[in-house]
Amino acid sequence: MDRRIVIFKILIIAVFVVLIIQAAYLQLIKGEYYYQLSEGNRISLRPISAPRGKMIDRQGNILVNNKLSHNLYLLPNEISIEHTPQSLLEKLSGLTGIDLATMQKNFLMGEQQRSAAVILKRNIPLEIKVIVEENSDELPGVLVKDSTIRDYVYGELAPHSIGYVGEISLNDLQQFNELGYDYKGGDVVGITGLEREYEFHLKGRSGLERLEVNSRGEKINSLGIKPPLPGHNLILNLDMELQHYVECLLQEQFNYLREYAENDPELHTPEGVAAIVLDPNSGAVLAMANIPGFNLNDFAGGISQDRYNQLLYDPLEPLWNDPIKAEVPPGSIFKLVTGTAAVEYLGIKAETEFIDDSGKYYLPNWSRPFRNWHKKGEGKLDFVKSIARSNNIVFYDLGYRLYLKYQGEKLAETAREYGLGQQTGIDLPREVAGLVPDGDWKWETRGEGWYPGDSVNLSIGQGDLQTTPIQLINIVSAIANGGKLYRPFLVDQIVNAAGEIVVDYKPRLNRVLPFRDSTLAILREGMYQATNSSYGTAGKQFKDFPIKVAGKTGTAQTGTSRPNHGFFVGYAPYQEPEIAVLVFLEKGNSSAYTLPIAANIFRKYFGLESLEGEEETELAPSPEGAELNSENQGNLLFQFLYEVFSNDE
Amino acid sequence: MQWNRKLINNLNWYIPLSVLLLIIIGMIAISSAVEINKVDSNGMIALQRQVVAVMLGIILIIANLFFDYRVFKYYSDIIFLSTAGILVVILVIGRTSSGWINLGLINFQPSELAKIVLILVLAGVIDDNQDELQYLIGFFKPITYALIPFVLVLLQNDLGTSLVFLAILIGMLFAGGANVRFMLLIFGGGLLVIIAFIVCHFWFDTPLFFLKEYQLNRLVVFINPGVDPIGIGYNLIQSKIALGSGQLIGKGLFAGTQNQLHFLPEKHTDFIFSVIGEEFGFLGVVLVILIYLLLLWQMLNVARKARDNYGRLVVIGISSMFFFHIFENIGMTMGLMPITGLPLPFISYGGNSMISSLLAIGLVININIRRKKILF
Repeated sequence: MDRRIVIFKILIIAVFVVLIIQAAYLQLIKGEYYYQLSEGNRISLRPISAPRGKMIDRQGNILVNNKLSHNLYLLPNEISIEHTPQSLLEKLSGLTGIDLATMQKNFLMGEQQRSAAVILKRNIPLEIKVIVEENSDELPGVLVKDSTIRDYVYGELAPHSIGYVGEISLNDLQQFNELGYDYKGGDVVGITGLEREYEFHLKGRSGLERLEVNSRGEKINSLGIKPPLPGHNLILNLDMELQHYVECLLQEQFNYLREYAENDPELHTPEGVAAIVLDPNSGAVLAMANIPGFNLNDFAGGISQDRYNQLLYDPLEPLWNDPIKAEVPPGSIFKLVTGTAAVEYLGIKAETEFIDDSGKYYLPNWSRPFRNWHKKGEGKLDFVKSIARSNNIVFYDLGYRLYLKYQGEKLAETAREYGLGQQTGIDLPREVAGLVPDGDWKWETRGEGWYPGDSVNLSIGQGDLQTTPIQLINIVSAIANGGKLYRPFLVDQIVNAAGEIVVDYKPRLNRVLPFRDSTLAILREGMYQATNSSYGTAGKQFKDFPIKVAGKTGTAQTGTSRPNHGFFVGYAPYQEPEIAVLVFLEKGNSSAYTLPIAANIFRKYFGLESLEGEEETELAPSPEGAELNSENQGNLLFQFLYEVFSNDE
Repeated sequence: MQWNRKLINNLNWYIPLSVLLLIIIGMIAISSAVEINKVDSNGMIALQRQVVAVMLGIILIIANLFFDYRVFKYYSDIIFLSTAGILVVILVIGRTSSGWINLGLINFQPSELAKIVLILVLAGVIDDNQDELQYLIGFFKPITYALIPFVLVLLQNDLGTSLVFLAILIGMLFAGGANVRFMLLIFGGGLLVIIAFIVCHFWFDTPLFFLKEYQLNRLVVFINPGVDPIGIGYNLIQSKIALGSGQLIGKGLFAGTQNQLHFLPEKHTDFIFSVIGEEFGFLGVVLVILIYLLLLWQMLNVARKARDNYGRLVVIGISSMFFFHIFENIGMTMGLMPITGLPLPFISYGGNSMISSLLAIGLVININIRRKKILF
């Protein structure tokens, strides 16, 4: 029997030897390997998101900043057994007063995406954060996380230009990372406007924190921080004060014109109004406004689907940035282009005389007349006066002569020289190019040839021609500055957080116009007469103006039964241009309504007194936002209403 | 032979000393595992409970020494039946997998007591039927006795403890002089049948009535820990990292990151050995194993010198129990054995385990001091 106890002893020794051998293997032979693993186990690298770059106007006012926000999350995996998501949300709603239905909707949405952390509500107030944290024992799986969100200091200021941010889309994620950037799902990126265009500058570089963590990933200790590199700041060409003034002015006029048009069955209710102010000597955009607009702060904390749909499906298209995205015929503004071609290629001179005896123009073998906007004939006029009067008959004739000599090609070519049919290259995303129709285009799309009527229509900026407001102001700027077609720019400089200049955008030429100075001088003279002679289409508005303004009106027909767009583009002072101004009234019946707006912008810029009754509202930071002064808004209109009766196109 | 002061002269001091040493090492390891070094730790409560359990255990040891161990043989059937009864009651009313009965201040775990009861009963059965153990039929009675607690505890989903009953049975049958060929036939055959069932389960998806899915998973992980490194393989991998990273001399008390940063699961109970390995290194591991070796060695000496075959078998049973616990627990932390919830005797935190282990040691001492040669 003792023999079996000896066997037992041998077995024990054998097993213990095996245990010691295994311990020696793990601890001595592979000890270093496991030591490294244990080090890796406790150290976690956490990215610290970099503060996004600011946007600062040319006077040094901060337009876009960042602010702290608190988001409410639910971690589905950490809900304890005694709770269901439903009971937890009910309790949470009872404690905090947050709408239960909203959280349920967000929870269901997040659950479908199987996220580890479902966002219940973004941007909750501090009080709710405190309530949630104090009751964390009763709310297992509910978590408040801090993050920064975009603070649009003046939420309604230049929303289309500034743009908004949002969570990165799958598409962008792939694309950006293919470009060599380091983006992760859930990152906030620019979606529109400058936020989008300068995303890679604004983003900065995330820092890293080396953390000692436990297996639940909770922070125990910080072992060191590689600080994030804040995004670069954008110094804009935009002038906040002017921008705000223009927006208030447009909103005021827009409200009034809509009210006015609603009471007049003859008039179509305008659907939007936009204005651009830029420096014709550099392309710097001083102001660019589009009414109606929206409030960027709606987007900053994550916009609700309802609010977004409301904006998206609003018939007035508040999200649509007309200055760079509206593709419309330019109407009479295009006569500057036709005029250029006439002088350059047909030998027309300033004093060349034309005759408009009936207000009608007949093409050979074509019975229907092309009409002037002025129903009766205007008799004898020279070329400068033709521009100033915006006489269609003269330009029909020039269009037909260009057709006879060059078919459809020369006028289209001239238009392209002015940058039509191409993006201006303004630093905003998704600018549209418009369309300059020519023989090839017509053959390809319509399967028919270029007719004389096409040239005649094109000569007054109608037909299939599509232009954007930014293209038109660029043309006028180039004529004003002696032939330099600049690339319009919203950003002047990019500086880093320390204030050092990273990129300094010098004025960039798209091209120098291949036209003679004398040609451009005739056009300038025509625009001068348009605004300064008693017969000019904008003469009543500008002829007694303290600063010499030159400009061109345009009323674009969008179809026989559809309402017209109104345009005015001009610059001042005439001799040494400092600014160019464009006003675009979408489906606003006539260019006449744009004139008082343009006049007030010039007044504001040159520090002239506003028209009586015009009061400037003060720009206050959001959320009060840019409130409008609704009183006295009718005065302007009455003042020019009788002017337009004699001088509308 | 009732209490006699001279009995104490027979004591093999290695046994209480090595147990004391293990308890001290255990206390140190537990205080690190419950992070007593941290300000907000409530680990002191755990340590206090452990001390109370040790004191209760010592009282039980001293109390049992006043009785001659042979009274346990006399009453063993009654004790066995009542223990089995408690296990059945737990199964019916408990419905929880832990098999604990809440007795107000302490939680009583009957399966711990059942191990010692089985040893006392089997010792009697084997002692009385030694000759029959040469025949196959003779195995029936001891196996039946062992199967009752085995099945009852297995039904509580405590695979580890139920295997302890088998280890006790095998150890005691072997030491009791049972026919080795029949033992091989019965236990080897049983093992083959179980393996066949598991293989069929994997290949043909037949049901497994004796193993729950998670228990099977533990076996799978044991064979291949990389299967699910953050799921079921997590514990094993973290335990190996803890042990291995301790290297030769360890990271030092309270300095084990696997332990202190909560990577190690169940670290003050089942995986306490990993804490020792991480903080005291290979030297600590070897020390603990050598103390266990000393203890088992001396216990087997006690068995050899026991006054009668009953006492000898009781000590063998207790040795088998400890041996299985030690091998399974340490082996599991190293990946040599599948993961079960068996505590490491005298070291793991837990009052029931500590008290029943000390009671078992009390029995060994009881048998030791009443050994055959009393020299004076």
